[in-house]
Amino acid sequence: MNSLHARRRRDAAIRILLLTAAVAGFLGPLAWTALASFGLLPDNSTRPPSWTGSITLDHFREIGIAEPTFWQELATSTIASACAAVLTIVCSFLAAYGLARSRFRGEGLMTQSFLVLASLPAMAYVIPLSDVMRRVRLGDTFAGIVLTEAAVTAPLAVYVLHGALRQLSPEWEEAAVLDGAGLFRVLGQVVLPLAVPSVVATAIVMFVLDWNLLLVPLVLTSGDIKTVPVAMMDFFTFERELDWPTAAAALVVSLVPLAILAGVFHRVLERFSLDIRRTT
Amino acid sequence: MRLTRRDRLVLFAPLAVLLSGWLGLPALLGLLATFTTYSPFATSVHFAGLNNYVAVVQDLQFGAGVRNIIVFTLVAVPLELALGFALAYLLRRPIRGRGLWRVLLLLPWLVSPIANGVMWHFLLVGATSILDFGAGWVGQSTVASPIGDVRLALPTIIAVEIWREAPFVTFLLLPGLASVPNELWEHATIDGASWIRKVLDVALPALRPLLLAVILLLVGLSLGSFDSVLILTGGGPGNATVTPALYSYNQAFVINNWPIGAASGWLIAAAVLGVGLVYLRLARRSATG
Repeated sequence: MNSLHARRRRDAAIRILLLTAAVAGFLGPLAWTALASFGLLPDNSTRPPSWTGSITLDHFREIGIAEPTFWQELATSTIASACAAVLTIVCSFLAAYGLARSRFRGEGLMTQSFLVLASLPAMAYVIPLSDVMRRVRLGDTFAGIVLTEAAVTAPLAVYVLHGALRQLSPEWEEAAVLDGAGLFRVLGQVVLPLAVPSVVATAIVMFVLDWNLLLVPLVLTSGDIKTVPVAMMDFFTFERELDWPTAAAALVVSLVPLAILAGVFHRVLERFSLDIRRTT
Repeated sequence: MRLTRRDRLVLFAPLAVLLSGWLGLPALLGLLATFTTYSPFATSVHFAGLNNYVAVVQDLQFGAGVRNIIVFTLVAVPLELALGFALAYLLRRPIRGRGLWRVLLLLPWLVSPIANGVMWHFLLVGATSILDFGAGWVGQSTVASPIGDVRLALPTIIAVEIWREAPFVTFLLLPGLASVPNELWEHATIDGASWIRKVLDVALPALRPLLLAVILLLVGLSLGSFDSVLILTGGGPGNATVTPALYSYNQAFVINNWPIGAASGWLIAAAVLGVGLVYLRLARRSATG
């Protein structure tokens, strides 16, 4: 038993070592970017290379000079992603519950088809979609962006929520029905409270996916309304290339809200699972 | 609860409207349009049969894109899986500050693909290059940017993609790994099994359905690669990093060759749906067997 104990301790030490190496490797590029955003730049002309510059917040101010509407775009991205995530969750939660409490032939196939739909890249449908949206006058509108983003991310949400809801025992719902509760009271007072962690986790992942979408808002808009990824792309395709410190500052600003969200909800995020037969 | 017909209608209608209105209907109309000369700006539309598809397939640039994306997918997906699995494996048991490790290791995925392209552009090119910095420390002078080199451009794009997606794989695999019953690991440990045997005999069988789902998502993501390529190389040098998605975007929205763009977009959809059919077969087998 003693050797087992020693082996465990050695294993734990190795794990910490490997994890530290992995974090250094994965976060190195981000740290490089964060340093640049605060004005600390590499100087490759010296031997050995060194760092130059002093810590400043100027580059964050410069974003607003290089792209006057950047802060407005940040607000657009935030609100649009939040609205799209909520819409996705509402539609997907209802459908996932319906699937979880129905028995029919091909139910498994149908559930798996949602994952196939989720794996379709945006380029597969975005060209005709942009045309249809313009024709129904939803091009270049906030509503158009929200509805499309919601539709694009919904299949993944259905798949994950279905997996979570079918774990719930139907007994509580039966009891509520015996008390005379209708569908919405069962959903609101029984199912939702039990499924809150999974629903919140899914909503956060949907928010991240919506926030980072480029192609969908890009082809649906032509300048009246812009999200952050579209603004970032404009910088580079219209030859008004940003200075690195300013671009780095914009990158940091666009990453911080997501990092805070992930940090605050990291426990809940463990409930986002594609494993639909968890308990079996 | 037992659902009535009305309950079902209420439950499924919102999603059905959202998916059919914003994905299904446009996709089908778009599919029909690819057999014509339709474009939003065209004044007259003719039936074109398979001409658009023939033109796409014969385009050397599209061919280069298909070749690149096959290499991309075959290299990127296994490496993302291996790296993502390794990290999840390290995090599977309680560890001091596990929450912090997990959040730190998720950060690269939170960077949007476009921001990822912007970041690596500056990291690899010019005076701010991280490569020059490293080379300087070992006494070398400047390193030519790998994204300007015909042979190195595609591997670089792949590496950048792996950097962003491997943490996402960890995020998706960790709940599955953590839910493998503890006794299984304990037995393996007491039997003196090496970590390789534990991975092969304990982890992989338990994770099979989850792994299939993750592979499907990764393959779809790879086949649609667009954002970071657009910024990092724009498909160059030459056609070294062109992808089918970049090709269809350029055709439809840059040079206004709408029918070609739409047809090549549908070829991407067909490829992913083909992979999806294989997935459905495999998923079914693992559900019944």
